[in-house]
Amino acid sequence: MPTAEDRATEEDRTTAEVGAPKGATPGGGPAAPDWQDAAPGDLADALRAGIGDFFARRGWRPFPFQRRAWDAFAAGRSGLIHVPTGAGKTYAAFLGPLAEVAAEAIRARAEREATEAAEDQARREAGGKPRKRRPGRQGSRPGLGLRILYVTPLRAVARDIEAALRLPVDELALPVTVESRTGDTTARLRRGQKKALPEVLITTPESLTSLLTWPDAAERFAGLSAVILDEWHELLGSKRGTQAELALARLRRFTAQRDGGAPDRPLRTWALSATLANLDEAARAAVGVAADDDGVTASGDPPTVVASDLERPIEIDAVVPATPGRIPWAGHLGLTLLDEVLDRLDPARPTLLFTNTRSQCERWHQAIRDARPGWVARLGIHHGSLSLGERERVEAGLKDGTVTLVVCTSSLDLGVDFPPVERVFQIGSPKGVSRILQRAGRAAHRPGETCSVTCLPAHAFELVEIAAVRQALAEGKVEERQPLPAPLDVLAQHLVTCALGGGFRRDEILAEVRTAYSYRHLSGEELDWTLALVEDGGGTLSAYPEFHKVVESEGLYTVEDQKIARLHRMNVGTITSDAAMQVRYLSGKRLGTVEESFLSRLEPGERFMFAGRVLELARIREFTAYVRRAKGRPGSTPRWMGGRLPISPALSDGVRRALGRVGEALAAGVSAEVAADDGGADGGEGPFPGEPELAAALPILTAQARLSRLPGPGQLLAELCRTREGHHLFLFPFEGRLVHEGLAALLALRAGRHPDAPATTFSLAASDYGVELLSPEPFPWPQVLASEALFTTADLAADAAESVNLSQLAKRQFREVARVSGLVFEGYPGMRRTARQVQASSSLLYDVFARFDPGNLLLAQARREVLERHFEVSRLAATLERLSGAELLLEETARPTPFAFPLMVERLSARLSAESLLAQVERMKKQWAER
Amino acid sequence: MSHGQPHDHCQGLRLAGEEVVLLGQRALFWPRRSTLVVADLHWGKADSFRATGLPLPGAVVDGVLAADLGRLDRAVEATAARRLLVLGDLIHARDGVTPALTAKVAAWRRTLDRRGVERLELIPGNHDRHVSQLPPEWQVAVLAEVVDEGPFRFTHAPPPGADSAGAPYVLAGHVHPVARLRGGGDSLRLPCFHLGSRAGVLPAFSELTGGHRLGRREGDRVFVVVEERVVEV
Repeated sequence: MPTAEDRATEEDRTTAEVGAPKGATPGGGPAAPDWQDAAPGDLADALRAGIGDFFARRGWRPFPFQRRAWDAFAAGRSGLIHVPTGAGKTYAAFLGPLAEVAAEAIRARAEREATEAAEDQARREAGGKPRKRRPGRQGSRPGLGLRILYVTPLRAVARDIEAALRLPVDELALPVTVESRTGDTTARLRRGQKKALPEVLITTPESLTSLLTWPDAAERFAGLSAVILDEWHELLGSKRGTQAELALARLRRFTAQRDGGAPDRPLRTWALSATLANLDEAARAAVGVAADDDGVTASGDPPTVVASDLERPIEIDAVVPATPGRIPWAGHLGLTLLDEVLDRLDPARPTLLFTNTRSQCERWHQAIRDARPGWVARLGIHHGSLSLGERERVEAGLKDGTVTLVVCTSSLDLGVDFPPVERVFQIGSPKGVSRILQRAGRAAHRPGETCSVTCLPAHAFELVEIAAVRQALAEGKVEERQPLPAPLDVLAQHLVTCALGGGFRRDEILAEVRTAYSYRHLSGEELDWTLALVEDGGGTLSAYPEFHKVVESEGLYTVEDQKIARLHRMNVGTITSDAAMQVRYLSGKRLGTVEESFLSRLEPGERFMFAGRVLELARIREFTAYVRRAKGRPGSTPRWMGGRLPISPALSDGVRRALGRVGEALAAGVSAEVAADDGGADGGEGPFPGEPELAAALPILTAQARLSRLPGPGQLLAELCRTREGHHLFLFPFEGRLVHEGLAALLALRAGRHPDAPATTFSLAASDYGVELLSPEPFPWPQVLASEALFTTADLAADAAESVNLSQLAKRQFREVARVSGLVFEGYPGMRRTARQVQASSSLLYDVFARFDPGNLLLAQARREVLERHFEVSRLAATLERLSGAELLLEETARPTPFAFPLMVERLSARLSAESLLAQVERMKKQWAER
Repeated sequence: MSHGQPHDHCQGLRLAGEEVVLLGQRALFWPRRSTLVVADLHWGKADSFRATGLPLPGAVVDGVLAADLGRLDRAVEATAARRLLVLGDLIHARDGVTPALTAKVAAWRRTLDRRGVERLELIPGNHDRHVSQLPPEWQVAVLAEVVDEGPFRFTHAPPPGADSAGAPYVLAGHVHPVARLRGGGDSLRLPCFHLGSRAGVLPAFSELTGGHRLGRREGDRVFVVVEERVVEV
């Protein structure tokens, strides 16, 4: 556990100190640092002094937390550095390891030169000439091999990080090579790296995993002394994070094997984050856990947590429309407020406009371009599906000042050495506290400075969310990121990776994998099942010699088939994305990637919006879409999977409380008109001091109160409504979409069991605010809602599991499981047509698995993931307890209310039926006949 | 066998002047020639996936074949057909024709003789490029790619354009048609027979197949298959 000292506050932080060197060696002018003369033992110390020098020359001084991080590294510790964006995490983590590596490199060079001098001397004495020596690459090769691995979640920021890491290396003239290896790396550099890795490598989890497939991976990584996990919160809680944990477990084994397991410079791992609530768990996931003899894991050395209480004051305001009621009730684009945003934009001031999805990013870019043609030269677009060239052009423009307005996604959230912009806009609710912290950090990237963000509500309720975000920030509430518990699909992929990368033995890999926090409780049976899956498809009924992904010989598991090796390397990066198709001009110039499902629906000649341009599809060849520039309106804009963000638990609580404040004000006689007159929209006092968004949301909230009710704390609103679609129940717990998706299925299951309930089929919908259960026939909701069985926490686990099965929610989740575990084969550029013969949709596979192999662990995993995501039992139980204790407000409404309306456009693909398929077909036929 | 009852196991109707029966087992029966017509069996598709390294469980590989063969048996029993005609894509890919699959299909093929099925015929489809190498013990008679018989033209892929009047009525497979049913906010996707004025498409026989929705033209009749019953929609 971290000690009090580790968490010591930044007692001596003030902006005045930046530029006032105190503890650091004073700047020594332009002269080269002179540690070459230092005695070998003191070299690392001298280098650390040199680091102070490096800081001083730039007018900086190290923060106490940075010094603590360097000291902890030198003392052989691992851990987590948790400080605000822009405080200098990167150098806190990097300069300690750099000093060590540089010392080693300088010593090695001195030894080499001494040997060479001795050789030359011997030759001269023998009457010969000194041998000519070819200088190695960048003057330092042959290098030491890989020493520092810097893992970043976004390849888009790898180059920025590379520049930041190079800065001290170049200024201090250290004989250390810094390179990147990501999906963007050129083939030429890759070839060089295949020969010899640099001392410092910047990479992504996917590229790291693909390096682990090299047959000599163990040798390549054996000399590693530091792994830095940047923006760890971005990885934690996702399968990419799990993938990184497994890769780290492998690296720990590789380094422990050298020097007989007792290296003089052990592998140390440091995770970096600016926004995390569960620091200790995050640190343990980064550092790993030690496995003891009986296979049960126990934590080894407690990780060190280096935290600081550096303040990053953040101001949040919102674009509030001049006329109330201009904001729509639903939707997520936010384009109705385009004019208000345009009025506030100033192309002379560098500005970022963050959007929540790539699709929204394209639409906003186009809308601004159409509205202000004069700005085109200064306007840029940046998101993760654009090609490297496209992104680089915008980044370079932003740095040299030629591009000043950039519409972007989280691709510009992260990264160092980024020129601070003056203004940040957030289009749509940020949906979470961490996200706004990250994005606000883009304005004024300096500790201590205030950053301000202007939020733009995409629909009226987002006004309430923005007020809630401000309140949560003021209270210091940040989201937790939980590591995933032992996903077997990621393990299956990892086992093939290890089989390619030199092979593995069963007992060794079990011990190794268990040192990853997520897999610390992995059972031998689970490993064996996963091993059988990749060895022979887990076939138990019959022998299938045709299947031979991983083969075992004398206890060593390897991959023999080159075709399988190639296929696996292609699929390593597919944890996060769907099959993506390259988009290129006919000339061959790359624009980026778009999901195949979108492109396959387009006909040649159709226009679409991408990379900020209107393009016309020319043809699709070998998994590449060839396009040409087009004029006129685009027919459509691509949508990428996983676009919509649910509001975080921290925020949903804030939304309930903000609504409570509005309810109290309404009860006290405040009206929308009064609020407007009081200048609420201008941020004046009004009925909600400091919360003009709530005043602006009053029209829609009073409409809700008039048409139905506005639930206060301790009340649960239920609305019944009949439309052409059927009979709706709307229920508003305000718990966030993830919980609501589970709740919808659970309530459908339990409602169907009520003695008065007819056999029916429910179509389910969930939003951040509520759930909808739609039935084709009338349903006795008043009786069912009054029954205690609906919201009880009794049998919750069993009911949750049953609703997952019946609602087929797991089918959606299986898509990801199937892809990661290698069941679904993704296309890739140049794929031969015959390869298409092994493509099947994951939903088809789900159906045949469920029918013929119901005990399959990958199915079980998909169900478990749904249970964890949507039915997290403690949270669902808390919700149910709150709901069962709440006063039920049951309203019959003539048409959908402002609360209900957004739910009708968010229908889930989930349904839960008590009717046979045949009965459902019959019922649908009857419904058509009635029409 | 009862004809014409709504959502029964089968549905009798006249097609190009001939009496035919659509079966809930995803097959079409032509009584006058005692011929049972099916399309897109894709035998060995699961095996082919495994051969490429996709970890499909053995239970799924075995289960899909057993379910498909069982359904084919029920169609044969219900109709007492003497001839089984496959409209293409009998096998999925050459690497899926494993010894295990070959043996299982051969065992099933022998039971056909006992049940009075005299011939198993195949109109080759795009997946049957290697038909010449079909296991001899399956006793498959390979026909031409287009076979005209009575008022029908049997082929694998339905012709793209509208045929001229007077041409034979095309019966084909290949596209794996499915229909989407909607009611209120609810929807279902089910395999179907799609019968147009000049051509009719059979549902894919194999359960391990996806599907495509076909545009529905005026006068087209669509019959979905659900729980081995046929329902006109």
